[in-house]
Amino acid sequence: MNRHAALANGYTAYPRSGQGTFSISPHKFQPRSQPALRRRRQLIQRICLIGGVSFFLLILIFPSWRASILPALSLGLLSSSDHLQIQTVRYYDLAKVKGSASGWEDGDRVLMCTPLRDAASHLPMFFSHLRNLTYPHHLIDLAFLVSDSKDQTNEMLENMLEELQRDPDRDMPFGEISVIKKDFGQQVKQDVESRHGFAAQAGRRKLMAQARNWLLSATLRPTHGWVYWRDADVLTAPSTILEDLMRHDKDVIVPNVWRPLPDWLGGEQPYDLNSWQESETALALADTLDEDAVIVEGYAEYATWRPHLAYLRDPYGDPDMEMELDGVGGVSILAKARVFRAGVHFPAFSFEKHAETEGFGKMARRMGFSVVGLPHYTIWHLYEPSVDDLKHMEEMEKERRAREAEEKAEAERAQRTETYFKDPKVESEIDNAFVRDSVEEEEKAKDATPEKSDSTPEKADSKTGKGKYMLDDKHDKKPQPKDDKVKGDADVDTKTEK
Amino acid sequence: MAVARNMRRTSPITIVLASLMAFGFLCFLFSSPSPPVSTSSTTSDSRLEDTAEHPLSPPTKPFIPQPVQNDGRHVQAPPVVKYDLNALTASSDASNKAERILILTPLARFYQGYWDNVEKLSYPHKLISLGFIIPHTKDGDAALSSLEKAIARTQTGTEQNRFASITILRQDFDPPLASQSEKERHKLKNQKARRESMSRARNSLMFTTLGPSTSWVLWLDSDIVETPNTLIQDLTSHNRPVIVPNCMQRYYNTDTKQNDIRPYDFNSWIDSSTAQALGDTLKPDEILLEGYAELPTYRTLMAYQADTKNPRPKRVIDLDGVGGTALMVKADVHRDGAMFPAFPFYHLVETEGFAKMAKRLGYSVHGLPDYFV
Repeated sequence: MNRHAALANGYTAYPRSGQGTFSISPHKFQPRSQPALRRRRQLIQRICLIGGVSFFLLILIFPSWRASILPALSLGLLSSSDHLQIQTVRYYDLAKVKGSASGWEDGDRVLMCTPLRDAASHLPMFFSHLRNLTYPHHLIDLAFLVSDSKDQTNEMLENMLEELQRDPDRDMPFGEISVIKKDFGQQVKQDVESRHGFAAQAGRRKLMAQARNWLLSATLRPTHGWVYWRDADVLTAPSTILEDLMRHDKDVIVPNVWRPLPDWLGGEQPYDLNSWQESETALALADTLDEDAVIVEGYAEYATWRPHLAYLRDPYGDPDMEMELDGVGGVSILAKARVFRAGVHFPAFSFEKHAETEGFGKMARRMGFSVVGLPHYTIWHLYEPSVDDLKHMEEMEKERRAREAEEKAEAERAQRTETYFKDPKVESEIDNAFVRDSVEEEEKAKDATPEKSDSTPEKADSKTGKGKYMLDDKHDKKPQPKDDKVKGDADVDTKTEK
Repeated sequence: MAVARNMRRTSPITIVLASLMAFGFLCFLFSSPSPPVSTSSTTSDSRLEDTAEHPLSPPTKPFIPQPVQNDGRHVQAPPVVKYDLNALTASSDASNKAERILILTPLARFYQGYWDNVEKLSYPHKLISLGFIIPHTKDGDAALSSLEKAIARTQTGTEQNRFASITILRQDFDPPLASQSEKERHKLKNQKARRESMSRARNSLMFTTLGPSTSWVLWLDSDIVETPNTLIQDLTSHNRPVIVPNCMQRYYNTDTKQNDIRPYDFNSWIDSSTAQALGDTLKPDEILLEGYAELPTYRTLMAYQADTKNPRPKRVIDLDGVGGTALMVKADVHRDGAMFPAFPFYHLVETEGFAKMAKRLGYSVHGLPDYFV
């Protein structure tokens, strides 16, 4: 309230009884007594001087004091004295890093873990995803585990990380970055066929679990609010994925993982079959197995009849819809750090007949954490063709090339005839050209006819097609189809013998 | 005014007194900064080389603080740090190979005896990191302040006595029991909840402080007040993945009228067929506990295997369950995922469950019945 208004109303802010003593209105001017400071100026100056000199002398005499006194005086501006002080005590209150639903506003640190093995070819893609993440980069700590890699993964990773941290854009560099090297002596090869073969699964998954645990235990800090597991071979994922998953405020959350397929395989396919709900059948099955057995999903050997997250996807469904899960897949997991702090990890042994990420899901459920999947929020895993697919693709590629060559030859011929017809100067040559063409055609026909006798007509067609047009292009290659012919003849011979 | 004029003529005594006061004031300002925030002092080069590259980097190493901007970013982007865990060893010759030890202690109460004992350990202190987890209770606050005092004294003391780093955590969940008195603590029906919460505390401590450079983890309870000085060397020399000495309690024996020792930790045992049969009858959520008459397990307890008359401290036996009062574990065992189950794991929780899990991961578990702490 305004004091002047109070006076205008007839009330005073202070009691009037003690007119002289309590009145604050200055009735008469009184010169303020000179402050003591000004009066004893000289004395104070002298004291300061002497104090300064004695302080300086003391610092000279006891060098050990400098470390504690200088930074305090310079208010940390003298960074040169930094190396003199080593801190040994860290204090953290875990209650302050519980992991909140809007971590990007609350400054929650996220640990992003990525296990890598022979993944050099995926790294450029992975780093482009990293750069695009919208979560504040300085709050993300990156952790990589490079194990048993024979390719350039390690060198490439380090170079790309250095580049990332040196980026002039202030928003680009990430927080703490740890690259951990540890070989587990994995015998299992990394190509798709051997990786997903049924027999190899249990052992492979236990080793994967081990790798994940090593990575986590070496890099989890008391400052982390969330932990995000991400595989390097994710093709596309929303750049807001961290915020999107975090927003749900669940202890463990996974998106749906699909993969694109070539058109001849149906265009797309559910990829991650490790996210599922437990079923009665599976529980009954688990009881029949021995202690060390591991149930792996998606193989005919273990028919579990579990509802899978992957199959429930509706491309037009609500991306925020949630679904309770028991097992989770490891392509992209967001979990609160307190889940890991409580001791949930990726069992490298058979935990309730499951290992690795599925065991992780089970253990998290066991300890009372919520495990949730988003069926309609999809990220896309890289499509790696299997050996069969590769064979098929090779054939398709061959056919395509043959077709292209045919088209090219067709176009060439058309052009040639066109030019010959259009050019009036060489009109005389046209006849020659026709003659040459017809001769070539005859030759081709000669080459082709014996091969037509080959037992497999389809393949022979493609082969002859190829041979035919090679002949057209380069005459040096002539012997090759002849060899084929000989082989074909030999085949015929053996057949007749039979 | 006359008085002031007199004052102006200052005698040398006043000046000397004033400068003394200024000096004393400065001393007061700088000599005792608050302990947990900055315990700093000069150190030799050997220690400097051993610091972490960045304040965020491994918690088992000391660090040099770096300026942080207002928005929480570091002025310099953190470096890319490489760790080669293939080169990390945990061998019987720990001190010569400069293997780092992490001593972890869930702290509910601070005992000066505990700190003195840790300080006396003869293993090179610059290779020892300490980790504490303290609950958010009144007792915890008291423990924290006395711990900080003890730390401040040690970490500013002689250089060879200083530990490499100390991490203090506050628990993010409440302990189920308000009272930490021995009687309340050991009641059977309270045991499950208490031990599950203990497991979570232990796991929080272990997973956040392990870091990439630790070779061995020593679990030491806050009420261990007497161990041989060479505890770490002795336990590592056996080169076993998990090894536990025999924990005893000193007490005044009223029968013989003299000081005596008695077994204390009943969690180290060899499994019995009775216990397994008993375990099979339990529901999945129930746990089997040792040392309670309600649950006769007939397990062979290491506590009673001790030969107090003529002890052979090198004697090693195989165990199935371990206690957590003093427990030496290779860091690899923890890294592989062996933790303290906070849920019934084969009807076992906490350290006993840990032993079971380590066994499931293919590690062996051992005890030293004649090595007393």
